Amino acid sequence: MRESLGGMGLLAPTVLILLGLVLYPFCYAIWLAFSDKAVGSAGQWVGLRNFAYVIAWPQFSAAVFNTVVFTFSAVALKFVLGMSVALVLNQRIRGRNFFRAFLLLPWVMPAFVVYLVWRWLYDPLSGLINYALMDLGIIGSPIAFLSDRSTAMPSVIVAHVWRNFPLYAISFLAGMQTISQELYDSAQVDGASRVQQFRYITLPGLYHIIGVILLLTTIQTANAFEPVYLLTGGGPSDATMVYTMLVYVMGMVNLRLGEAAAVSTLFLPLLVGLVLVVTVLLQRKANA
Amino acid sequence: MARAAIRRTRREFLKTSATLAAGAGAKLSFPAPALAQRPKLVYWCYQFLKASDEARATFAQEWAKKNNVDLQLTMVPWKEFMPKITAAIEAKATPDVVESGGVELRARGQLLDVTDLYKKAEKTYGGWVGPSSKIMLEPDGRVHTLLYGLQGFMMIARDDLLAQAGLKPPPATWVDLLAYAKKAQQPPKIFGIGQAISNQTDSQVWEDIMKSYGARLADEAGRRVILGDYKQQVWEFLDYFDAVWKSGVLPPGVTTWDNTMNNSTYQSGKVVFVFNPVTISLWLEANNPELLAKTGHYTYPSGPKGRIQPLTYGSRSIMKYTKVPDLAKQFLWDSMEPSKMDREMSVAQWGPVLNAYTSFDVWKKKPFMKSLIDMSLKGHPQGYPDAFNDAWQEQSTNTTISRMLQRIVVDSWSRDKAFAETLDVLSKIYAKYA
Repeated sequence: MRESLGGMGLLAPTVLILLGLVLYPFCYAIWLAFSDKAVGSAGQWVGLRNFAYVIAWPQFSAAVFNTVVFTFSAVALKFVLGMSVALVLNQRIRGRNFFRAFLLLPWVMPAFVVYLVWRWLYDPLSGLINYALMDLGIIGSPIAFLSDRSTAMPSVIVAHVWRNFPLYAISFLAGMQTISQELYDSAQVDGASRVQQFRYITLPGLYHIIGVILLLTTIQTANAFEPVYLLTGGGPSDATMVYTMLVYVMGMVNLRLGEAAAVSTLFLPLLVGLVLVVTVLLQRKANA
Repeated sequence: MARAAIRRTRREFLKTSATLAAGAGAKLSFPAPALAQRPKLVYWCYQFLKASDEARATFAQEWAKKNNVDLQLTMVPWKEFMPKITAAIEAKATPDVVESGGVELRARGQLLDVTDLYKKAEKTYGGWVGPSSKIMLEPDGRVHTLLYGLQGFMMIARDDLLAQAGLKPPPATWVDLLAYAKKAQQPPKIFGIGQAISNQTDSQVWEDIMKSYGARLADEAGRRVILGDYKQQVWEFLDYFDAVWKSGVLPPGVTTWDNTMNNSTYQSGKVVFVFNPVTISLWLEANNPELLAKTGHYTYPSGPKGRIQPLTYGSRSIMKYTKVPDLAKQFLWDSMEPSKMDREMSVAQWGPVLNAYTSFDVWKKKPFMKSLIDMSLKGHPQGYPDAFNDAWQEQSTNTTISRMLQRIVVDSWSRDKAFAETLDVLSKIYAKYA
């Protein structure tokens, strides 16, 4: 009894700090959503008024749609690209160590620099991509990648994927190196093709890593702010308006903290739902 | 020979320690009050144009040295000011003096009353220039923020290209501007008008043009949206906008331009006209004097119902939480001293706010700076003819009119549908502050 009390006593400071750092801000954000809190004012309880206001706001439905499109597309592309690169770098190729280090370059660069470089690459007047395409005779006039509704979101996704896929690749590569070579040797003796080896040895061996990476990066991607803020500002019109951008505009530009918190709170079930779907699917796969 | 150990009793040790501690304390007690008496002033300085920033920072440091003040100076980029001050207010850790954000913070009751300084400056320096008083004075006659410079978008034009096309600047009306732009541009290398239609505040120009066609957003009191009563004027403006969009004078990409793109596009010689403060020209002066020599600076063209030339401003305010209000007021007052402002304005983008400033040499030395006096005298307060209040401010940062235009050209909405959404958004925003 005394031992367990002592243990709880030792844990208490950590628990209190965690409660203070996690639970308090979380509850405060929820309270903000139900108040007319603006910068510098105490804020009064307004019930569901903020929720009604933001749901009726023209950019809100676009933000829901765009956040889902951005998150699913970016996570899927990062997964495919990361896995492909990991498979290549898991082979015995010349300069393997150099390429493994080189792979991390986009990931270690500050997001601000990365997205400004991409903005320049996309620029229709002086950007490298348009210059190259026109020089090669592929296009006759420059394409405003970031300013056309049909190309803006794909362009933002490409820039985001470029910066973030190395995390996937490095994680998968680390997982691949824990899979015993003997399994591949046995499979080869049994006549298994490369695809079959990947399907029945590599992929099952990576399930836990895939689970953790997908879980964390789905949350991270849904909360991504810099790519949209730095590349398009949510435009053209509302073509790339994601929920983080809407929160920024309402909270930091218009100084309406209650409304900004209401947008965040409305997205909370969506994010939790996304996480649950990913977790359940992976758990089922792992248990199968 | 072994040294005999010095043995002390516990009592002796404590006695010695106490004596040493008391001695040290007594020694330190002399400078300590002197440190405590040196007042501290926290100053957040607006960071935008390097030379101007340095001039203001240098003054602040010299002032602190002269007045024996412990100055804590932080340069805050313009774009980061509101997020930073928002966090500071919520954390109850605000600076004493801030530049920028005066109106936003005033409306939220965050600033100290400085009406006394306003009146003193008016009396001492020959009165306020142009719309300065209107910007500062609140309905009850009080003042919470002191302007130190007026700034506004000007029409900046490539006079050399206009001359090549046989045109004499400036174009008098917005329709003339389009005609000039079409004739002088050389696409795809040089486009006619470098103007954003995006979700950034530089797109405000379109609201100004719409108002020069006779429209306004809200009633005189700034409470009720009446743009719906001006449908005819809005349609005339949209006819003009449509002509601009279809004529190919806008560079590709303007629907996602941020607030730096018109600067960089003009500075790299790719447009004939832009609308921007003279920061462009200050940059050219240092980096591309050849292009500056080919550049003209003019007030806005007029619309069918006149010219709307809105002015923004640089201001200093004192946060109401300050513990040194008198010192902060002294700093504000000393900051407005004409010889100090003369030095500062020669490297800044500001037009004069006080009549004592209009005789500075800088207005005579640099032709492009001369245009700032014209702008300061002829300009209107932001939002004009609408009341400059919280509601107008929110619809402005929301870039409501630019969003209407984007609905038409990006989303291919009909005018009626885009206009209906705009009225709905404006009504929602204004209703919050009614």
